[in-house]
Amino acid sequence: MKLTFRIWLLIAVFILALLAISPSFESGVLIKNVETNSTAYEAGLRQGMIIKSVNDRRIKNLEDYNQVITNILPSEEKIKILINTKSSQAVLFTDKLPEIIVANTPRTKLKTGLDLQGGSRALVKPEKQLSSSEMNDLIAVTSNRINVFGISDVTIRSVSDLSGNTYMLVEVAGATPKDLEDLVSKQGKFEAKISNETVFVGGDKDITSVCRNDASCAGIESCDTVSGEDICRFRFVIYLSEEAAKKHAKITSTLGVNYTEYGKYLDKKLDLYLDDQLVDSLLISEGLKGQETTVIQIQGSGSGPDRNSAIENTEESMNKLQTILITGSLPFKLNIEKLDAISPILGKEFTKNIMLLALVAFVAVSVVLFIKYRKIKITLSVILTMFSEAFITLGIAALINWNLDAPSIAGIIAGMGTGVNDQIVIIDESVSNLQESIKERIKRALFIIIGAFFTIIAAMLPLFWAGAGLLRGFALTTIIGVSVGILITRPAFADIIKKIEG
Amino acid sequence: MESNKEQPETQKSWYDKWYLVLLTIPVIILILSLIYLGTFYSKHGDFINKDVSLSGGTTITLNLNNIDSDKLESSLKPKFPDITIRKLTGMETGEQLALIVESSASPDELKPAIEEFLNLKLTDENSSVEFTGSTLSSSFYKQLITALIIAFILMSIVIFILFRTFIPSIAVIFAAFSDIIMALAFVNILGLKISAAGIAAFLMLVGYSVDTDILLTTRALKKAEGKLNERIYSAFKTGILMTITALAAILPAFFIIKGLPDSFKQIFLILAVGLSADIINTWLTNAGIIKIYCDKKGIK
Repeated sequence: MKLTFRIWLLIAVFILALLAISPSFESGVLIKNVETNSTAYEAGLRQGMIIKSVNDRRIKNLEDYNQVITNILPSEEKIKILINTKSSQAVLFTDKLPEIIVANTPRTKLKTGLDLQGGSRALVKPEKQLSSSEMNDLIAVTSNRINVFGISDVTIRSVSDLSGNTYMLVEVAGATPKDLEDLVSKQGKFEAKISNETVFVGGDKDITSVCRNDASCAGIESCDTVSGEDICRFRFVIYLSEEAAKKHAKITSTLGVNYTEYGKYLDKKLDLYLDDQLVDSLLISEGLKGQETTVIQIQGSGSGPDRNSAIENTEESMNKLQTILITGSLPFKLNIEKLDAISPILGKEFTKNIMLLALVAFVAVSVVLFIKYRKIKITLSVILTMFSEAFITLGIAALINWNLDAPSIAGIIAGMGTGVNDQIVIIDESVSNLQESIKERIKRALFIIIGAFFTIIAAMLPLFWAGAGLLRGFALTTIIGVSVGILITRPAFADIIKKIEG
Repeated sequence: MESNKEQPETQKSWYDKWYLVLLTIPVIILILSLIYLGTFYSKHGDFINKDVSLSGGTTITLNLNNIDSDKLESSLKPKFPDITIRKLTGMETGEQLALIVESSASPDELKPAIEEFLNLKLTDENSSVEFTGSTLSSSFYKQLITALIIAFILMSIVIFILFRTFIPSIAVIFAAFSDIIMALAFVNILGLKISAAGIAAFLMLVGYSVDTDILLTTRALKKAEGKLNERIYSAFKTGILMTITALAAILPAFFIIKGLPDSFKQIFLILAVGLSADIINTWLTNAGIIKIYCDKKGIK
């Protein structure tokens, strides 16, 4: 049988889709994030590398990695860890867990949406309408803040809707960090004041550096149990710019001195405000009066029902405050309009069931077609066309990096449905009414198919803009599906049917 | 379908005799649906039951299989009068896979109340929390309804461009309109709370359901061979197969596969109901109008 140009085109596009999806059966774990300036970073580990073995023990998946690593780390003293990646070797000399986030190597380039893989999403609206450059500033500061806090795998983009509202959409894949809300909704305006006069504010203009992850200048100081609740205090050092130090000198030089049983302190405190709320007041020792000091110690506290959770919460508050001091405040006040945190566990179950559903749908459609036409060749060619249509749609989704959420997949299945409809029209037009010329019949089939194509496009188009584009996936996959159908699979199918029918 | 497998001759006389009677069936259903929606609107102030994604509020999905949903509901009811709890069952076992708790309250209020009942901290391992603010949800809702109207208008324009004749085009558009009204009335009778994804499904229905109408109109008006009744009948044979295959792909989502995401199930349910309504609206309403039109125009 000689294949026509259209059938060749279908085969070629199918292969391209396969390349775009590029299934991989590689074992190992993928490094998703490496903390900058960490031991792991210095040893040469980078995002995107695939770890093949640790200390010569083969790593096939995430389970292997966790088992091997937790067996040897953390340890009492520094030990040598040999990590082999696909293309290089890294030697770590450490007593702590490597500062990297790893995941199983992805099987394909397809990405699933938040509702299927788990993660969190926040849709926030600035208090006022922002221009596009203001929005870009906001996105830059937010993304910096989230990165400094230590969350990886984040996408932030601006979305707008039919009524002209602009939102910032923040999506974090995988595990769902509970801090996302605080990080994006709080403006994080930090001010240190002495008797209502601002000494310095958060951000790199006043603060040149913040001590983090260094026990000599940052950490938890002490913990107490107060009426059934555990409270811990943290402290860390920050370094002020020269300008801020001068301001500090000028303001403190006018203050008086109090003599207390604990020592000599200035008669006004350094008040720390976060988003206009007083979070702490620090005593200023007498020696700092009128001094251009650049080293300031910041303190704060956290609490919990038991010691461990108190320590955990305190470390978190410290990290948040450090983040805010480093990144400065967001340029605009924000309101959280939508906040979703989806558990990855349920998402896995959903994905499995959707794949099963697609399979059952294929079988059900095949059975119906076989009962109707009683011809295995016709049934098979419909099924193959339907499959290639869905597959090419997935390939395009992989190519444009689209996150496939549940509505997107529903769109693909619905697109397959219209595809089958069109094929039924082609079959019926070409096998019936043999008095008319084949040209007439195909022309009519085409008219019906093109009509159906444009109505579905017309119906789905408004979804691109409505509702902050959160349902765009549904419209997109449907439109891609029917377009692939009309441009590639349908013409090829018409040729296949011509060949089958002789 | 069986009754239609008679010989074309008897069938012709049968259809000529009955098509006007058949045409009244969908008209009666449409009027009943409109009356139902009218009373529904006067009672609820809206044409649909909105879920929290469109009315504002919180959905918490608990991936726990050992909770007594009735006890949880009665414990939460005093504080959250509008609370609803649904079960999600797993497919292999039919066991309770998760509970879906919905309320207009914020997560900050709802979460601690559930934690207190379960005596367990909710983490991202054991639960999902989705929150939509009330201003956003009402703007979502307005926009999606606008999108639905725009979709309908765009579809109508496409139909007019395709057929360029008034009555046949209006017949197609009227059939699509009836599909939406009947589907809407039916999901309301079922008590379904419609989400943003559900409205997207109505948009798709607008585009999807006219396939068979286009087929019918094209065959009836543009085909040279056969008598009008035969052409309508041939279109019916093709069109009903189209709808049956579509339903065959959609229905397993309700009867065979359990444990699908809510958004997914809702899209499929609305499409299934709408496509079923489309069988009546295409083959009784639209076919009837086309027959009257052709008789008047002398198209045989």
